[in-house]
Amino acid sequence: MEEQRLITLENISKQYDGVTVLSNINLYIRKKEFVTLLGPSGCGKTTTLRIIGGFEMADSGRVMFDGQDISALPPYKRRVNTVFQKYALFPHLNVQDNIAFGLKLKKMSKDEIARKVDYMLDLVNMTGYGKRSVDSLSGGQQQRIAIARSLVNEPEVLLLDEPLGALDLKLRKEMQLELKSMQQRLGITFLYVTHDQEEALTMSDTIVVMRGGHILQIGTPKSIYDEPQNAFVANFIGESNIFSGTMIRDELVHFCGTDFPCVDSGFGEDKPVDVVIRPEDILLVGEDVGQVTGTVKSVLFKGVHYEMMIDAGHSIWKVHSTTMQPEGSRVGLSVVPFNIHIMHPMQEENAQ
Amino acid sequence: MTDFRVPAWGYWIMGVGLAAFIVMLVMYIRRNRGFKRPLFASPYVLWLVVFTVIPCLLVAYFSFTDYQGNFTLDNFKDFWDSNYTARKAMDPEEMKMYEEMGLTLEDLGLERGTININTLVFSLWMAFLCTVICLLLGYPAAHIMANRDFKLGPTLVVLFIVPMWMNFLLRTVAMMTLLEDNGVINSLLEAVGIGRQKLLNNVAAVQVGMVYNFLPFMVFPIYNVLNKMDYKLSEAAMDLGCDKWHTFYKVTLPLSLPGVVSGITMVFMPAVTTFYISRLLGGGKVQLFGDLIEAKFLSTSLREWNVGSALSLIMMILILISLGLLRKVDPEGEGGGMV
Repeated sequence: MEEQRLITLENISKQYDGVTVLSNINLYIRKKEFVTLLGPSGCGKTTTLRIIGGFEMADSGRVMFDGQDISALPPYKRRVNTVFQKYALFPHLNVQDNIAFGLKLKKMSKDEIARKVDYMLDLVNMTGYGKRSVDSLSGGQQQRIAIARSLVNEPEVLLLDEPLGALDLKLRKEMQLELKSMQQRLGITFLYVTHDQEEALTMSDTIVVMRGGHILQIGTPKSIYDEPQNAFVANFIGESNIFSGTMIRDELVHFCGTDFPCVDSGFGEDKPVDVVIRPEDILLVGEDVGQVTGTVKSVLFKGVHYEMMIDAGHSIWKVHSTTMQPEGSRVGLSVVPFNIHIMHPMQEENAQ
Repeated sequence: MTDFRVPAWGYWIMGVGLAAFIVMLVMYIRRNRGFKRPLFASPYVLWLVVFTVIPCLLVAYFSFTDYQGNFTLDNFKDFWDSNYTARKAMDPEEMKMYEEMGLTLEDLGLERGTININTLVFSLWMAFLCTVICLLLGYPAAHIMANRDFKLGPTLVVLFIVPMWMNFLLRTVAMMTLLEDNGVINSLLEAVGIGRQKLLNNVAAVQVGMVYNFLPFMVFPIYNVLNKMDYKLSEAAMDLGCDKWHTFYKVTLPLSLPGVVSGITMVFMPAVTTFYISRLLGGGKVQLFGDLIEAKFLSTSLREWNVGSALSLIMMILILISLGLLRKVDPEGEGGGMV
C-alpha cells in the first residue's frame, strides 16, 4: 500500500491572522484515486487544496509528493494542475491559446501543440471552438475549457476547486459523470473539493469529510453514508434524524422515551450517545404495533417519495416513504435494530 | 480688448443651441412625467452646452475668420508660416522695390517663420518624454500598490491622491522653491559638498515639473485595472508553469494594457497643452505650445485671437485623435476612471 501513495500530507497546520484554518491534517492520496474533500464552507478544504497546489504555505507540516518533500516548491515546479472555482480563463486569449498556454511555456513544437489542443477539445466535447473568445462561452463551456487547459499538461494530479459550483443542476450532474469517466479513462489522480454531498457520493473513490480545520472521517462513499462516525457527518451526508439518548447496555439504547434494541456494543452502560436514523429507514406501521407513535404534521411530495414530519410527543421524526399518510393521522413508527446508528456524542469544541 | 464683439451670427448660434436644448428638455419632461434620475443630468447638460460646446464652436468659428468676421484660411497659414500675414500685408510695389535693392525675404525678416510649428513639435517631444517617464515610474508604482500581499498599498494610494487636492499651480510654485538657487535641494547639495547647481529655468526643470504633476494620471488608471484583475489569473498562470516574470508578461501586462493606454492618453493630453509649468519652471526660456496659445490670446492685436483659435483648434484635433485611439483600445473605458 505504502508505495501507491502519491501525495501525503503530514501534520499540516495553517493559521490566518491567528485563526486556525487547518489543524494537524494527515492525509494520503493514492495513485489514480478520486478523492473528494467534503465539508461546509470555511472547513479548510480549499486551503488544503491550495497548499497542495503551492499557492499557500503551511505553517507547519510537510507535503510529500511521490516520496519527495515539495512543501517549499512554487506552483510552477509541481506536477499538479488546478481547475479553479471560477475557471480563471485568460480573457485576452482565445480558447485554443488558453489550452496551449502551458504547452507553449514548455517550448513544444507548433504541430505538437496543435495536435494536443485538438485532442483536448475533442476530449471535452468542444471541437470547433478553438478560435472562439472565452467570453463568448457559457459557464459550462468555460468549465470544459478550464479542465482541458489543465489536463493538456498531463499532470499527475488534477486539483479541482468546486469546479461545478456555478453550473445549474442538470449541467452539474452531466459534468459529474463526464469528469468521473474522464478520470477513469486518463488514469489521473483527482483531488476534488466540494460542499455538495451528493456530488461527493456520486464521483469519489474516497471521501474526506472536514469541519473546522479537522478531518472528521475518511472512507468510501458507502462506508461514510452507512457508518458515519458522528452526528455531524451523518447529517452532512444525506438526511438524518439525530436524537440524543442513553446506552443502557450493549445492544439496547434508550431515546425518545422508549428502549430500542440495536446492534452496537462497547459504549458502556448508561452512557450518553447520539442516535442517528436515516429517514428512509423508518417504517410506518399501525399505531398499535409501532415502537413510537405520533401524529403526521406535514407531508411533502419529493418525487420518488413523500417526506413526512411526525410529531411523537417530545421529538420530531423525519420519515421518507413511498406511501403517504394524510396530515393529522396517527401512525406508529418502527426501526429495525440494524438501522439504528449509535455514535459518541460530539464534543462541544468540535461542534463549533 | 474692449473692442472685441461677438458677431451677430455668433449670438444666433448660441441662441439656437440654447433653444434646442430647452426644447429637448421640455420634450423629455413631457415624455417622462415626473422626476426621474436622468433628469438630474440636465444642469450638467446645460453646463456642457454653455461652457464646452459653445466655446468649442466659437473657437472653430474664430479659426476660420479674420477679425472682421470674414471667412479665411489665413490663420492656419499663419500656423505653418508665422510671417505669412506680415508678408501678405506688404505692398507689392514696395516689395518689388526691396527686391530691386537686392534685399531678400530673410533680410526683411519675412521668410517662412517656423516658430509655431517648431514650438508644437517641441511640445510634442516634451509631452512624449513626460509620458515615457511617467510610464516607467508609474507602472511599477501601480503594480506594487495593487499587490494583494503588500499591506501598505492603500496607504500609498492615499499618498498619491493627497497632493492632487492641492491646486496644481501651487504645487508647481512649491517645485520652484525646491529647485531655486537657494532652495532646499541646493542647500542639501551644498551641505554634502557637491555644491550649488543650476536647477531652475531650464528644460529639465520643466520636464521634472510636468512629470511631477502628471504622474498620478498615469498611476491611477493602471492601478485601477491591476486592482480589479482577478488574482486567480496569475495563480492559474503559475499553475500552468509560469514563473513570476512569465506570469507578468504573459498575463498581467497584456491584461493591464487598457490602463496603460488610458494612462498614456491622460498624461499626454495635458502635457502637450500645458503652459504654466513651463512659465514657472522654465523662467520664460522654455516655450511650449500652450504658452504660445496663451500669448496669442493675451496679445493686444485683435488678429491674434483668430490665430490663437486656429492653434487651439489644431491642438483640439490632436487630442480628439488620441481620444479616438483610446476608444479603440479600451472601448469600455475600464482604465479611465480615477480613484
